[in-house]
Amino acid sequence: MSPLDRRQFLSRSAAMLSAGGLGALAGVVAEADSHSSAPQQSSVEQSRDTLATELATRVSFDGPHQAGILTAAQAQSTLVALDSIAPDRSTLIVALRNLSERARSLAHGDTVGAEELDDPPPDSGILGPVNAPDQLTVTIAFGASLFDYRYGLQALKPKGLEAMPNFPHDDLDPTRSHGDVLISVCAGQRDTVVHTVRELMRSVVGHLTPRWSIDGFKSARRGPTPANNPRNLFAFRDGTANPDVQDASLMDELIWVQPALHSSGEPAWAAGGTYQVVRTIRMHVEFWDRVGMFEQQNMIGRYRVTGAPLGATSEFEDPRYDLDPEGKRIPLIAHIRLANPRTPPTANQRILRRGYNYERGIDEAGNLDQGLLFVAFNQDIQRQFATIQTRLQAEEMTDYITPVGGGYFFAPPGSRGPGDWVGSGLFV
Amino acid sequence: MLGAIVALAAVTLVGAALAPDGSSKARPFAVSRLAPKSAPSPLAGRLSKVYGTNIPASRYGTEIADLEDEGTNLAGEQVSELSPLPARLFIVPENEYRAYAQRWIAQAVSGASLLRHALGAGHRAAAQLAWATTWSDYLHLGAVYGLFATQNQAIDGVPGVLPGGSASPRFVGLHRIEMGLWTGASLGSLIGYSKLLQGALERLHNVVAQAQFTPLEYATRSHEIIEDAQRDLLSGSEVPWSGQGVLGIAAGLAATEEVFHTLEPLLSGRENTEGEVRSELLMLRGLLASIDHRHHGSYPSLAQLGSYEHEQLNGYVAGALSALEQMPGTLETEVRRSPPKLPQPSTAERAKERAEERQAEGEP
Repeated sequence: MSPLDRRQFLSRSAAMLSAGGLGALAGVVAEADSHSSAPQQSSVEQSRDTLATELATRVSFDGPHQAGILTAAQAQSTLVALDSIAPDRSTLIVALRNLSERARSLAHGDTVGAEELDDPPPDSGILGPVNAPDQLTVTIAFGASLFDYRYGLQALKPKGLEAMPNFPHDDLDPTRSHGDVLISVCAGQRDTVVHTVRELMRSVVGHLTPRWSIDGFKSARRGPTPANNPRNLFAFRDGTANPDVQDASLMDELIWVQPALHSSGEPAWAAGGTYQVVRTIRMHVEFWDRVGMFEQQNMIGRYRVTGAPLGATSEFEDPRYDLDPEGKRIPLIAHIRLANPRTPPTANQRILRRGYNYERGIDEAGNLDQGLLFVAFNQDIQRQFATIQTRLQAEEMTDYITPVGGGYFFAPPGSRGPGDWVGSGLFV
Repeated sequence: MLGAIVALAAVTLVGAALAPDGSSKARPFAVSRLAPKSAPSPLAGRLSKVYGTNIPASRYGTEIADLEDEGTNLAGEQVSELSPLPARLFIVPENEYRAYAQRWIAQAVSGASLLRHALGAGHRAAAQLAWATTWSDYLHLGAVYGLFATQNQAIDGVPGVLPGGSASPRFVGLHRIEMGLWTGASLGSLIGYSKLLQGALERLHNVVAQAQFTPLEYATRSHEIIEDAQRDLLSGSEVPWSGQGVLGIAAGLAATEEVFHTLEPLLSGRENTEGEVRSELLMLRGLLASIDHRHHGSYPSLAQLGSYEHEQLNGYVAGALSALEQMPGTLETEVRRSPPKLPQPSTAERAKERAEERQAEGEP
């Protein structure tokens, strides 16, 4: 994420603004400046300043890898799966190019231009005259179906890309699963995400058509320290054992596809990309709430309040399975133990989770339709995600969750800059 | 006639329970008013130590009582407040359940036979009726928690879990027949499925006779049956073609009543669980009877159910579940203790951990 250059963004935006919007934005800049000279800020002023800073924070769309993978998860997200209705290869190229161009512009932050008064405005304008970047990332990924006969891409299909199978206990709804293209839109504020989805859909209309979508949100970081992970809707902290994204060599081992390695069998264009696994996992929250705390904690293997492994005191403590070979402290089928046994042979199975909570109202039985929008990135689905998922079939938590949708996708390497676009390597 | 009398009695009881005096939700053993959390002990002035401990008596009634309220003992361990039951006490209830299940298996086998004949005779309405009867009979078994293992997929399996969904050749059993019956498939094409179904049901006699389950699994069954029914039937997700969710709930309730009935002697005198469960199950039974009555003696499909009836059913099922959730805890057979503590990390390990936390927090 780029430095928090709020004033720089606002000043630049002001310069770009048309006369109609200039007054309002200049006011914001002036107000922000006056705050900086004030000796003390009220809490209202502080939160306004924090919001302005967050809105001005930019994540570059371009780079060797796509944004929104190693990027720290923003508060809000929407995933949209699209199917291609482009009649031919060149139309598909237009759609993918438009998608990247619009995403790049929105992630950078842009202004809402004006057309002739009798034309529809080029931007919905729901964020006002300036589309602040707000940490926006748009990650574009392709499903196995894009590599079928339609566009002559069969030979370029990433080696491990297939339609996500039904694992035991899954109840996948075809209308909420798979798709040719998946866009993951993540940002700090809900309205930024809503606006971005609307604009991106507009940029590909007639070429890519929506198949399913789902909204996600992160629980707030409620401490006790900023390092403590937020909770999922079963109230347990999520993401604790994620691999360190700052460790570039670890990311090369676990996340980025490496066609240069002879054993990989991956096509050259896929270098620097990664496999994205999405699982819409319904959590039967009322059922979960009827389970005793002892059983809840044993199913997960952690204390609910602190997130510490059972027997330990801090969230980040090693569960020390070596001291508990019979599972007397942490049951052998506890979620954390099956997901990451922390043994040398399973070290290369680790995945990078980047999930969100979701809630979709109530179902016909009057139950809350809530759950986990599981998103994970990994270098090799079979070696990593599928192996873990197969181990997890033994966990007791399967009674309390039902995976209902999602899919396997491949997120290509990032765009090299203006003029390039995500997926261009497929059409060289 | 007997059924009508029972239904009338149930409706009357529910009517009384719903009387507009505000007592409809009052639970028979509920505490009407709670004492302050930390009342000083009246014994504090006379006893110097809590019996058998070194704890000063003046502390009793304050922090120790608070700890006990939170399920913590004097050693700071989290424990349950009830003494565990011997596992052998579950042998009789489980055997009673097995005998009950065998009767319903026989009933379901007869139903499957009728279904096969109706399909052979080319009579769709009769086949749909026989399907509903057989399915309801099977649900009376309360087949949750993997009791019937692979047999359940052959009898009551849903297509969503299979590769290819409803087009999968492995999609057989009651829901395969349901799909055909309610989507206009030729009846002759379903006869083969009905034969397979009858065979799978017949094999259940042996499965139930040999089924082993722990006391906790059996006690948990008492709320799992309706948990599953609420999720899969009341939502309609498991009966998308016939919509017979209400019938399924009624059968699940019957299975729950049986499990509860077999466990009642063990529940007696342990917290308020027995009374609360009985009351909630009776209310749900009464509601189902009134729905059946309003729809002229048969359960409506979910689509035919009025919106208020559906809301009532959702609410009463949820109410029953909130009482039934107490069953496993009330019938514990072992003392739940806190997990053993890990050895405290060394100072160096602590420092490393702190450094990692600081790094994660973005501090230098």
